[in-house]
Amino acid sequence: MKLKKYLSFTRAGIIEEMQFRASFIIMVVGNLLYLIIVYFLWKAIYASSGSEVVNGMTFEDTLIYLVLATALFNFLDLYVVWQIGRDIQSGKIVLDLCKPIEYRKYIFWSYSGSFVTHFFLTFLPTFIVVSAVTHGAIPLGINLLFFMFSVVMAISINYSIDFFVGTICLYTQSIWGINIMKQVIVLLLSGATIPLAFFPEPLKSIMYYLPFQSIYNAPLSILLDGDPSVETLLTTLGTQLFWTVAMLVISKLFWKASVKQITVNGG
Amino acid sequence: MGKIIEIKNVTKEFKVLNRREGLKGSLKDLFSRDYKIVRAVDNVTMSIEQGEIVGYLGPNGAGKSTTIKMMTGVLEPTSGEILVDGNIPYKNRAKNAENIGVVFGQRSQLWWALPLIESFKLLRDIYQIPQENYEQMLELYKSLVDIEPILHKPVRQMSLGQRTLSDILAAFLHDPKIVFLDEPTIGLDVSMKAKIRTLIHELNRRRNTTVILTTHDMGDVDALCRRIVIIDKGKMLYNNDIEHLKGFFGSYRTLKIRLDGDLEQWAQQLAQELPDFSVSADDEWISVLVDEEKAKVIDVLAGLQKKYRIRDMQLEEISTEEVIKKIYEEGVQ
Repeated sequence: MKLKKYLSFTRAGIIEEMQFRASFIIMVVGNLLYLIIVYFLWKAIYASSGSEVVNGMTFEDTLIYLVLATALFNFLDLYVVWQIGRDIQSGKIVLDLCKPIEYRKYIFWSYSGSFVTHFFLTFLPTFIVVSAVTHGAIPLGINLLFFMFSVVMAISINYSIDFFVGTICLYTQSIWGINIMKQVIVLLLSGATIPLAFFPEPLKSIMYYLPFQSIYNAPLSILLDGDPSVETLLTTLGTQLFWTVAMLVISKLFWKASVKQITVNGG
Repeated sequence: MGKIIEIKNVTKEFKVLNRREGLKGSLKDLFSRDYKIVRAVDNVTMSIEQGEIVGYLGPNGAGKSTTIKMMTGVLEPTSGEILVDGNIPYKNRAKNAENIGVVFGQRSQLWWALPLIESFKLLRDIYQIPQENYEQMLELYKSLVDIEPILHKPVRQMSLGQRTLSDILAAFLHDPKIVFLDEPTIGLDVSMKAKIRTLIHELNRRRNTTVILTTHDMGDVDALCRRIVIIDKGKMLYNNDIEHLKGFFGSYRTLKIRLDGDLEQWAQQLAQELPDFSVSADDEWISVLVDEEKAKVIDVLAGLQKKYRIRDMQLEEISTEEVIKKIYEEGVQ
């Protein structure tokens, strides 16, 4: 019964996505353009380096990584900060708080439909095309299963970060700057735009201690590593699990404290 | 009938930053600790019975919305007690949420891109309404309003009237004990207003739902409410039947006369002649608000007729609207 309550959000989300066919086409075209830029950019980078392998990655490795990262991005990217900001500015949040459902869950499940549609309409086709074109550069084995676990945790961490940043809007009343800052930090430090291997040393180690690499770098490295050692696997998934729980608790507590703030001081 | 809402000595204060003027001022504001306390609701006490429709009135900024937000649990009172169906709303917001429905005239709780029926299904699952009750409610809706044409229409394509209607239906869907309607008829045309009033009235009657209605449209109040509560500047001014309210001012009647020439000048002259009453003029009429405890309207009219050539006259009973206006302006003496 309880689960049905949430799954009906997923269902509604899927119906909602289907209402906007044009935006879906635009998204696909936009991504193609982005990938073309990525292709030529990295081609130039490899050409100017004069060597086949840069930072332990060949041109092909890099390209596969980035294409899949883009596909993953399309599927993970959320507009939670915008939505929370808008709800707060318009006062609609009062209506949402009057529902017998936690706001944090309410927003998450409202997005669950778009996770499903974007997974099937963008990530999966990209994955199939890449794996067909590269003739087995992506290992197809048990790693797919681990990848699934990893992606679920990535979704959760990404959502918690978004929700945390959205909560800041309760204090600032403005969204734009905060959202841009979040976007830049997440995309850069997570490995969504540049593979982590390309970062210089002290920075790279720091990045492994931050939650962001768990969103893109972790699932992609699991997917692309056909024969990982148990140790690597446990470290990667363990780190993700740690951040899933930590960010969940942090964003939940922050929201709770902040809502207390509005109920006391008014929005 | 039991009391469904009890409010005792509730006060709500907000801390507001004192803003300064200009660029320099706003830079200083960034580091300012200079707050002032605004009392939005000041020592309000009232109780509401199950099944009542109560009009909650007051000028803009009187503290109406703040009170409603406290009853829904979104705001916590600074002091005093609120009980909604035995719950303390802000402590038990989720539990309280099952008992209440909310419509804010300016915003919609419906899913913008989805057909109305999908919004209803979502609400059914959120509130965990048993399928049987859900279908009964839909049947009831069908018998009250013509919802077939809008049921499969995405909310974003609806007219304001259709959307408001849908929002009201959505608020009643889980058969809550209390529904808060905040300016439900704002911006609607006459026939839609009438439709919505009938709908609210019927739902209240059939489901015995308590309705708390804030509005600036006295038509809503006359059509729906037996009891009204008026607040201004956070203080409760009045809490009783409408009939009783008219009794306060029942001795007032408005005499309207028309004379030849400049009405403004006539009005000034008449004001000197009739110092006990307030005289005003618009484009067509000179209005004299007569307190019948001081003089009968007939006598005033007879007196005027001896001196002036009255071309036309009208007599008006004071309307709820004027009573409310008088209370906003002068308070209850």
